[in-house]
Amino acid sequence: MAIDLQQHRSTGQADPIPAAVHLRPAVRSGIEERFGASDPEPGLELTRNPRVARLVRNRKFQFLLILPNQIVFWTVIFVGLAGTAVPGLNFGAAITWYVWFCLVFVMMVVVGRAWCAMCPFGGFAEWVQRRTFWQRTQKVLGLGRKFPEPLARLGFLIPVASFLLLTWIEEFFNIAGPGNPADTSWMVVGIVSSALIFFLVFERRTFCRYVCPLSTLIGTVGSMGSVAGFRTKDREVCLSCQTKDCMRGGNDGYGCPWYTWPGSADSNLSCGLCSECFKGCSEGNVGLFLQKPLTSVIVPRRRRADVAWGIAILWGLVVFQQFNATNVYASMDSWLNKYLLVPHYPDPVDYVGIIAAVTILTAGLVWLIAKALGRNDAVPTGPTNFVDRKSRFRNFFVPMAYGLIPVVGADYFARQLPKFFKHSARVVPAVAHIAGFGSAKSSIYGFHILSDGWIVVVQVLVIVAGTAAAAWATWRIAGRELVPVSRNALAVRLTTLGVVLAFGALASVLYVLMHAAS
Amino acid sequence: MAIAMTEERSAGTGRPSVRVLADRCAGCQECVLRCPTGALGMDTDRWVATADDERCVGCRQCVRTCPFSAIVVEGPAMVAPRVSGTTAHPESVLADISEVRQGFTDWEAALAEAQRCLACPDPTCVRGCPAHNDIPAFVAAIRDRDLAGAHEVLQRTSVLADVCSRVCNQAAQCEGACTWSLAGEAPVAIGQLERFVTDHAPVPPPVRGPDADVSVGVVGAGPAAIGAAWSLIEAGASVTVYEKDPVPSGLLGWGIPDFTLPQAVAQRPWRQLEAAGVELRCDAEVDADGIERLLTEHDAVIVAAGASIPVRPPIPGADLDGVTDATTFLKTGQAALEAEGGRDRWLAAMGFTPGVHGGSAGHVLVLGAGNTAMDVARTARRLGLDATCVDWLDRRFALARPDELDEAWREGVGVRFSRTVTRLEGDAKRVRRAYLARTVQPSADRMPKVQRGEQETLAVDLVVMAMGYRVDPAIAGALPGTPVRRQAAGLPDRRWMASGVLANPASEFAFHNPVGQLALGREVGLQTASLPVRERVWVIGDTLTGPATVVEAMAQGRRAASAIMAGRPSRPGKGRAGPRRALVCYASVGGRTAGVAHKVAEELTAKGLAVRVLPIDRVGREELAATDLLVVGSWVEGLVVAKVGPARAARAWLDGLPRLGGVPAAVFCTYEIDPRATLDVMAKALESRGARVVASSALRRGGDDVAAIALARRTLAGARDEVAAAGVLNGS
Ligand code: SF4
Ligand code: SF4
Ligand code: SF4
Ligand code: SF4
Ligand code: SF4
Ligand code: SF4
Repeated sequence: MAIDLQQHRSTGQADPIPAAVHLRPAVRSGIEERFGASDPEPGLELTRNPRVARLVRNRKFQFLLILPNQIVFWTVIFVGLAGTAVPGLNFGAAITWYVWFCLVFVMMVVVGRAWCAMCPFGGFAEWVQRRTFWQRTQKVLGLGRKFPEPLARLGFLIPVASFLLLTWIEEFFNIAGPGNPADTSWMVVGIVSSALIFFLVFERRTFCRYVCPLSTLIGTVGSMGSVAGFRTKDREVCLSCQTKDCMRGGNDGYGCPWYTWPGSADSNLSCGLCSECFKGCSEGNVGLFLQKPLTSVIVPRRRRADVAWGIAILWGLVVFQQFNATNVYASMDSWLNKYLLVPHYPDPVDYVGIIAAVTILTAGLVWLIAKALGRNDAVPTGPTNFVDRKSRFRNFFVPMAYGLIPVVGADYFARQLPKFFKHSARVVPAVAHIAGFGSAKSSIYGFHILSDGWIVVVQVLVIVAGTAAAAWATWRIAGRELVPVSRNALAVRLTTLGVVLAFGALASVLYVLMHAAS
Repeated sequence: MAIAMTEERSAGTGRPSVRVLADRCAGCQECVLRCPTGALGMDTDRWVATADDERCVGCRQCVRTCPFSAIVVEGPAMVAPRVSGTTAHPESVLADISEVRQGFTDWEAALAEAQRCLACPDPTCVRGCPAHNDIPAFVAAIRDRDLAGAHEVLQRTSVLADVCSRVCNQAAQCEGACTWSLAGEAPVAIGQLERFVTDHAPVPPPVRGPDADVSVGVVGAGPAAIGAAWSLIEAGASVTVYEKDPVPSGLLGWGIPDFTLPQAVAQRPWRQLEAAGVELRCDAEVDADGIERLLTEHDAVIVAAGASIPVRPPIPGADLDGVTDATTFLKTGQAALEAEGGRDRWLAAMGFTPGVHGGSAGHVLVLGAGNTAMDVARTARRLGLDATCVDWLDRRFALARPDELDEAWREGVGVRFSRTVTRLEGDAKRVRRAYLARTVQPSADRMPKVQRGEQETLAVDLVVMAMGYRVDPAIAGALPGTPVRRQAAGLPDRRWMASGVLANPASEFAFHNPVGQLALGREVGLQTASLPVRERVWVIGDTLTGPATVVEAMAQGRRAASAIMAGRPSRPGKGRAGPRRALVCYASVGGRTAGVAHKVAEELTAKGLAVRVLPIDRVGREELAATDLLVVGSWVEGLVVAKVGPARAARAWLDGLPRLGGVPAAVFCTYEIDPRATLDVMAKALESRGARVVASSALRRGGDDVAAIALARRTLAGARDEVAAAGVLNGS
């Protein structure tokens, strides 16, 4: 259609400012190398469907995702505090520990940060921060500070630390057992209030990006997911975009709360699927893309050391959680507690010690591989910051850690399965209990979906599936990234594959041992 | 784990250092595009910005423009000390009307100062200048010793470079918005450089363009009228200016004393305009009826009547003898200083006896401490009087130019902030005493509060009200929608946000003015100036916005002139064409309304119009001003029965519309079940802004294209009928 935009530019009341602006040309070199592999297929864009577009553009979209979870979690808090002390009959404890954790895991593996889009903690705090449930407001509540630079430089490591802390608290007070349901409530209250504090002190979703205990776990395990997230449809449009509404906030959407630019995202790691950029972009240049499973594990060109160390530490934690069910651990823990005057399991020293040991052993193993197979001349000089610095060790460690994501994820998932298979049915009497009936004597209360033996079988199968995925991912990653920095292509591919298989085997064996111990 | 926190920080001495926060930088290049020195680049492997400390000068533009606050600059800025022009500080200013500020007198100083300009890729100073002069370009021309080139650059946006460079409050405009000022350093002396150009090469006169067969009547002869007349005559219009005073220039003539703006400079524009063929009729007051008359004689009328009614606060005793207003004082006082022996005659006429108070003839109390108040007080000093200005604002939020305040102090003017006059008392009917109370103003956006308690007494012989002016209500009443508030509503234009001018509002060099916000507010006036308030009537300058500045008024005049020349209105009885330009705008969510809008546009294009199609959120005053025909479409929002109407975004947009000055318009909506009163709501909103709705259509799903084409045809026919009714239709 011949619509003459140019004529008006020249005959209209031309704003003289553009004539004085001479922006430097944007750097466009290396785009294909940088984004070629990670850019999703245009065919896998969901908002091409007008109904989807309409839904996602609607400002109530995220509100409606958050609302049901919000209701459930306030119920959890309330019922946890006021309801029965029998954990299995208390809706708060039952839904949280028998069902919720498993569901979140499934969402991560399938989608990515789907939970973040509907999370009631951040959601609630964000409502307060924005002074609205769904509208685009211009004035936020709170101080709007920037997260201190030295801490922000740690990237995704602070969430790992807070996850370790939360897990220790949860183990120490036996919250997730589940134990006393009131403890579950207090834990949730604790998370909501810290979220609220962070949302009121700092700008955007600083809490989610830099603090939330679940953030690194969801981000890394989520990168197996098949939703690439909200990304640019045409990078050239973004490069010449003069407004960057997706980052600064436009008429209809906030600036990305997660500090992600759709124009350069190469994985779904830090897209909270909030859809603000989609709403905000005045060029209509943002789409919601699907991708093949594991894409965000295998192809991102920029690997981050904080993520790699995060994965290693999360691996340490899950191994600890398996190991702590063994008799060896039990005697060690009580021995330590006696000397350190800690009343009971878990002793913080062995907790941190074991996690650190596993992390360091993992890193050490990679260091040996790097020493044996790495090429010294393959260390480019470059950035000096923690996230991006390069070394021979990092040449191996960072990509290999990404490759381990599926095993680590599977391990976390498998650990949740016994509670799900044994007790998830209890949610039914627990709901009934709120209404005044439903008891521990009901047949549903005692109903186990699977017997203990079968559960171990399923756990091992999950680990096998995770290991297979990790093996595939690692094989690809090794081919793309390790071969060029190694002395021997085949050796490095086989060795890294071996490491993955060994990790998978370790996890499986531990499940069998756990079963034996109980 | 070694965490990279050991990078060198050079705060205090040496060079600035830049750090990109690798975790958060998204590689959007906003900083890279704008770094004046090219210190920033991209690591395309990681796709994050990289910084080269060696080239960074510490202007912090990157920090202000990064959307994710992912870049940090520390250490001192690398900029030479500011070179300023000369200022005369004579022992006594008695009877001295020579210019106080003298600017750069030699090339060396000017070149040294020009070197401090970074030629920023996204120059924030340009946004700060109300006329949007291309500052880096004219400064570059100075560096090349090319004054003709500098004039050429300046004349693209300003015809009063010699005046503005003297009277602008640069600290709140161009210089306050200079990247150095935003970074807390002394800004480039833009005003003095601009003046240097005009001091050393005369401002080129307007060149009359080939006759365009457009006749425009301009009411008023102040800066707004100058801007308009200049652009119009250059575009080939015939221009007649009606001025109520015996001499033109408005405020430039009597309002600004010679020691700030010498006569020769103030008279230059009119000399040149008259020479170029602008017809100037002085002593010709135009009232509301007069505007109607002018509309029959001219194709368009521009009202630039200024704001001439002095604000008189209701203070007890204000009706005493010896209480006057700034206009009267400045007009008579200036004349007295210019004429031989005029000073003594003036003093006698005002009832002063020279020498009663020591060396001074008496004490003048000036109410206010803005620029007019400073002019009054400094004129009083020259007339041989003591002068004290009293302002209820806090000193931190004062409205006067800081340099002017400083000069007034040096000349012996007393300036008392945080005080207000509560009462005036006199004897034998002449004012003798003023009572002052203290005020407290915690922040710039709060009104000062008057404190109770003890009041101070001040002996005075003359009181001058210099608290500003307002528009003559008789004129304002005839001009719907005026005055407009210079306040930007909603989210600022993101191109402005991107430039960083809105960041860091509290620079000490801009005297804590939020320069970016001020500039955005001025933008409202500038853009409104291009829209007629009613058919064929444009309002500019102080009449449009209430009292503002010379440069703003001039820039608005230019905008109105180019809107007229682009729209080619014509008076009744003169043949004219139907609409040539159309704007189709829409609120769409699923794309259907947008589709209809495009179809309408396609049909209008086929009929020979130049058409723009835009979503409503991209339609501002500028877009509205550039059309002869407006089509607005919305989807129908709401449940089947409740709250059915135009989409919320469309309603908000309609509510925020400026005056549309009689533009023919059409409305349409797309619906599924029942549009109810959607079209009515839209049509009423447009009509209340002065648009004339000539066609409307509610489109039910199915058959959108056919309905769109029909709507386009009806709209065009309706618009042409309107034109035909108003005059003779040409062409079709
Ligand atoms: S606003 Fe849209 S076009 Fe601009 S950078 Fe963001 S996604 Fe790209
Ligand atoms: S704004 Fe866009 S990129 Fe940012 S978290 Fe939300 S959906 Fe993801
Ligand atoms: S401070 Fe100025 S010169 Fe330095 S990197 Fe930033 S924009 Fe460039
Ligand atoms: S503006 Fe900020 S996010 Fe964008 S490239 Fe520069 S430092 Fe990175
Ligand atoms: S016109 Fe005024 S604001 Fe604009 S550059 Fe000149 S002195 Fe500065
Ligand atoms: S005057 Fe200031 S803001 Fe303008 S281009 Fe020069 S350095 Fe940049």
